[in-house]
Amino acid sequence: MSTAVNENAAGWEPLIVAFCCNWCSYAGGDMAGTSRMSYPANVKVIRVPCSSRMSPMFILRAFQRGADGVLVAGCHPGDCHYSTGNYHVRRRLSAFKRLVEFTGVEPDRFEVRWISSSEGDKFADEMADMTNKIKALGPNGKMRDARWQNIT
Amino acid sequence: MKKIIAREKLPELWAHLSEQGPLFLPIQDGPVVLFQPWFEGAEINLDAVNSAVSPKDLFLPREETFMHYRCSGKQLEMTPVEPGEPVTAFGVHPCDLKAIELLDRVFLGQEPPDALYQQRRENTTVIALSCSAADPFCFCGDFGVDPADAPGADIMAHLSDDSMLFESRTEKGAALLEQAGDLLADAPEETFSREAVQTADFNLQLEGLAENLKDRFDDPAWDQLYKSCLGCGVCTYVCPTCYCFDVEDFGHEAEGERFRCWDSCMYGHFTEMAGGHNPRPERKERVRQRFLHKLQYYPEIHDEIACVGCGRCLRSCPVNLDIVQAIKALGGEKIEKR
Amino acid sequence: MAEHNLEQIEKIREAVKQDLLGGRIDLLLGWEKGHYWWQSRPLFAQSEEDLEKLAWDSFCAVNLSRYLLEELKEHNKVGVLVKGCDARAFNRLLQDNMVPRDRVILYGLPCPGMLDYDRLAAEAGSVLLSITEENGQVVLITAEGEAKADRDEMLLDKCRGCIYPDPAVYDQMLLPPQGEKESPERFKKVEELEAMSAQERFAYWEKELSRCLRCYACRQACPYCSCRECFVEQENPRWQGRAYQPSENFMFHLIRAYHGAGRCIDCGECERSCPVGISLQELNRKLIKDINELYGDYEAGLDAELEPPLLTYRPDDPAAFSEK
Repeated sequence: MSTAVNENAAGWEPLIVAFCCNWCSYAGGDMAGTSRMSYPANVKVIRVPCSSRMSPMFILRAFQRGADGVLVAGCHPGDCHYSTGNYHVRRRLSAFKRLVEFTGVEPDRFEVRWISSSEGDKFADEMADMTNKIKALGPNGKMRDARWQNIT
Repeated sequence: MKKIIAREKLPELWAHLSEQGPLFLPIQDGPVVLFQPWFEGAEINLDAVNSAVSPKDLFLPREETFMHYRCSGKQLEMTPVEPGEPVTAFGVHPCDLKAIELLDRVFLGQEPPDALYQQRRENTTVIALSCSAADPFCFCGDFGVDPADAPGADIMAHLSDDSMLFESRTEKGAALLEQAGDLLADAPEETFSREAVQTADFNLQLEGLAENLKDRFDDPAWDQLYKSCLGCGVCTYVCPTCYCFDVEDFGHEAEGERFRCWDSCMYGHFTEMAGGHNPRPERKERVRQRFLHKLQYYPEIHDEIACVGCGRCLRSCPVNLDIVQAIKALGGEKIEKR
Repeated sequence: MAEHNLEQIEKIREAVKQDLLGGRIDLLLGWEKGHYWWQSRPLFAQSEEDLEKLAWDSFCAVNLSRYLLEELKEHNKVGVLVKGCDARAFNRLLQDNMVPRDRVILYGLPCPGMLDYDRLAAEAGSVLLSITEENGQVVLITAEGEAKADRDEMLLDKCRGCIYPDPAVYDQMLLPPQGEKESPERFKKVEELEAMSAQERFAYWEKELSRCLRCYACRQACPYCSCRECFVEQENPRWQGRAYQPSENFMFHLIRAYHGAGRCIDCGECERSCPVGISLQELNRKLIKDINELYGDYEAGLDAELEPPLLTYRPDDPAAFSEK
């Protein structure tokens, strides 16, 4: 019994959920915007207070509800607004990323990146890069709840 | 009607039956045997004494979506799920079928009957299989179950080393045998001489137990019995006579589906009320509820103990707390020893 | 039951009897026999009479430390018989501040590795009447005669990867310790799965998890699962749905395993409790293996003073993702 994916391959556009920390990466997104850099509209940004706010359940829930890729972005190590949040999340999400891969999700579908508030260009690049990688991989059926297809 | 088939031809029969609709039978899945729909290459295990989880799943599925809903403005639209195709259950042992009869009394015994259960019950042809072996946990003898015969079956089947014999008991069963055509040979006078299967004797005194339990709600035995319970609910999930369920929605306010799924009285959430009050706050009350339901409350209504001696709780409980231990702790052990 | 076994039980009983009757402890957590010789259930002994039921053999698999959570509510001082994994479980609870050290007396037992009845019965072929043990072998006694089997082959799955059969923490060791064991095969299955393609791994887990009944026995039996409210029962937000959808299965099992990252003592009670035999330990061991690889060797429960790896960090930690 495999979770079926309905998307028509021809017109398909990936959905990417990016969890961005309030102090660096989200501001990096703002910087990209005010600098008039464009990044793919496939990326939906969710602001979290710190990358260490990320519960692994957020990531799985995103996959359940249709995300083709999930990105977590936080301050560079050493620059955390709360001093050590991203040091902790580096360990936590490293373990979780490997666990998710172990159960069969392709490595590119879940990524973690460090983006500072001044790196608008890096923000735009990473979003474009992620989108391209997911486009190459195609739609994600793994861990998706097929029941959402019946509900508008 | 009696029919016979060589054992090596059974796969052909299964393939044929599965063309008519889903065919459920005991399939080896990893380390356990479970009733699952037949598929090409499935490893059928007819020698298994008992499946790890009882086949009550066929009539009370662990999850069953029964309605889609959609709201727009003040309009509420509810669409029931269409009933499924007719199902064949192959290789249900007598204890499990007896358990289904006990469930029938709950779901069909009073008006209105449970429509979902009724529909599945009517839609299913049950081919029961007599037991050719018992394991140390089988104690169905205590509950009037005959391992060689299942009275409620549509077809009674017996397995020998080289063949399988079918005997239809109902019209539905006869129709199924008829329809299998040439795959089955006539076996007018064929019978199996089989050794009676020896089931375990735990020296239980079940007569009058329900009556005695009326005064034992506050018995100190409960204070000891519950202690080892982890509250995991394995017993209720593998049990063929446990039938509690929960109803949940999936989706959002405006659209979604409603399903029912198994639930267990061993969980704290089971009795938790909206305001947060829980009439069975601790493991003691939950363990007591489970055993009294089987041994006292059900018999008070239906005149029979809600246990068939399948032995699943004896096998599966991680800490070996099971119904035999409970019966013994509550005065259900024969005084004169063997 | 073998002679040396009865001697051992007598020794254990004598040791704990003094403490129980003398009032040093109010309750002893041990094991007693179930209906059959291959079954054991927890014993809650409060009197000399209760102690008569005490059992210690190759079938005392139940991890007793978890019962402390409840029993310490009722009793002031509790004694527990601990094998290697029970002791690591105790350390685990101690690190989570779930048990006060000064209200528990730990009686250490070296664990020979617990036997799997199903394996023994399958090996015996016909009805298994009893067993005896000698020199690393199990003698299977059936009506037809006797047969020998290698003891290591007859162990429960959960005992096969065991490295620390002796308790890491105890107040009193009741029997002589036996020393650490080699376990070259501990991560073998994990490595096999790692070698597969993503698609194959997904197929493997989807099938394996499809059997899940969501009874949560794995959680209930686990010595690190001691949250008052588990995520699966949280109502708002509702993380875990009850439907038997593959996605819900993954949600439960990944999060259950992940909550044990750096905390799982690898006792295998989760897998032993599972009524449908899901290979849960491979998920736990994958996390143990990775965290050891990335952040240095750590065995949960061996030393209660050592900080669990996911509760700490080093500025120069490596990551499992690109940090460019």
